[in-house]
Amino acid sequence: MKEYTQEERQQILDELLDVLRTVRTIDPARLEGVTEETDFLADMNAPSTELINIAVKVEQRFDVEFEDDDIDRLGSKVKDVIDLIILAKERSK
Amino acid sequence: MPVQGRKVAVVGMSVVAPTCKNLDDFSNKLFAGESMIRLWDKAAAYGKQIRSTVAGYVYPEDTDLEPVYNAVSSEYPETYIDHKGRIPDINLATADLGSIWAMIGSKECIDMAGWTEAEVRSEGTAVVIGSGGGGNEISRVAWHGFFKEGKKTRYAGSHTVDRAMGYREAANVSCFIKNRGACEAIVSACATGLGNIGYAYRLIKFGLQDRAVTGGIEGTALETFIGFDAMQVLSKGFSPAESSRPFDLNRNGFVCSFGSGIVALEEYEMAKARGAKIYAVIDEYFNNSDGDGDMFAPSFAGQQRMWAGLSAGGAQIKPDVVKVHGTSTPVGDIIELLSIAEVLGETGYHLSAPKSQFGHMLGAAGSVEFIAALQMLDKQKVSPCINSDTLNTELEFFQLKPGWAGPMKPVAAYRHLIPQQAVEKEINQIVCLNYGFGGTNSAIAISKDV
Repeated sequence: MKEYTQEERQQILDELLDVLRTVRTIDPARLEGVTEETDFLADMNAPSTELINIAVKVEQRFDVEFEDDDIDRLGSKVKDVIDLIILAKERSK
Repeated sequence: MPVQGRKVAVVGMSVVAPTCKNLDDFSNKLFAGESMIRLWDKAAAYGKQIRSTVAGYVYPEDTDLEPVYNAVSSEYPETYIDHKGRIPDINLATADLGSIWAMIGSKECIDMAGWTEAEVRSEGTAVVIGSGGGGNEISRVAWHGFFKEGKKTRYAGSHTVDRAMGYREAANVSCFIKNRGACEAIVSACATGLGNIGYAYRLIKFGLQDRAVTGGIEGTALETFIGFDAMQVLSKGFSPAESSRPFDLNRNGFVCSFGSGIVALEEYEMAKARGAKIYAVIDEYFNNSDGDGDMFAPSFAGQQRMWAGLSAGGAQIKPDVVKVHGTSTPVGDIIELLSIAEVLGETGYHLSAPKSQFGHMLGAAGSVEFIAALQMLDKQKVSPCINSDTLNTELEFFQLKPGWAGPMKPVAAYRHLIPQQAVEKEINQIVCLNYGFGGTNSAIAISKDV
């Protein structure tokens, strides 16, 4: 599988932030200074019920489809979502 | 069982009604005899698929809400923005339009009642709110995406249950105001609004709770309209303002409407002790069933037993006004009128038919009409029955059937009971009536505080 550079991962993170800005239950102030280590639940204070909605928005934005097992195993950090996006992108090639 | 001497006061109210900005606007339109019914563009857009095109609708923007549409489906309001900042985003995320009205209404009621945060959050505070639940747009998009488009379940989002479940309004209000008492919903079709108030009244009267936020809701939904349109029971062929015409000879169905009515109830002595304004005292609530196995037809016998039940506990029932269910359907109105005349006689009271002005709000009907009654007590005016222009001078077909046990006079003989303009008079007691599919009959009597 292709190795993604730091720049490429940062580009995904930026797009991910665009998605997160449309989630009204996340306080926009908590989207400042987000890194790959930021935790959706602990740091962004996102309601756990919102994670699945975020996953669907991400699928649309990045034009990928996640497997149910991917989502079941998904961690709550930003890097977990970026890894999943990359996995789904590569899998669809 | 009722606790002897324990009374229940109404200390707050809030209404969402078609074309009305707020409670004062609603009250003014009510006594001015204005119609709140309009051509519904959303229904009319379906052309020949839909039979009736008039409704009492309330759009999100009418209540300063803006839907945020989902990228998957442009018709799916993923959540709403509250431009007045009344409800936090976390609460909006779990609410459909009706549940948001319920939260806004509850907040307004609590402010009007003057309850402290500690009182609201106590174990003595109940939330009892329900809706008719004929349908809502949240489920529509979820089902369509799954069944017709083959989408994964998650594409409808994680809130299709909390935004569509049977007691969603109560659940959302409870999470919003953080009460620790009962949180339940009564669902009894078109008697829902009154049923919730009646149940909340009993919780307080029986000594189980000290106060309650209660009422009924019907969020605007074309799905609900479609169901009734299919039954051919909606008004057709009149201008919007003339479409709802209870008791009129030419009525041909009800007008489907939407809205919200929430009231604050409190144990009388507690309300009195803190100097609260008491809008009414509830004398009694009673509910029964027809028992004839008929889902739809009104029952004269069932309504007679309802009236008997209302006074069976010792409450003095001598109303100056009877706020009728009066939907504008061919049979229902006249059975109700004759049933009232059989019990109360032919003079000494007026009938108020607010559905003539705002249509049939289904799950919200009982509570919004209860608020109309509170306004009548407050203003000492009877709201009119507009469009009741022509009353039948001949007997109804059911009065000629063997076994009919009610009055043998035509509707026209009761013209003096049915005002076409507001009537100013001394009003001390009002009885409110609502009925629903399944043969359920509900009645509540309220009086001025003396």
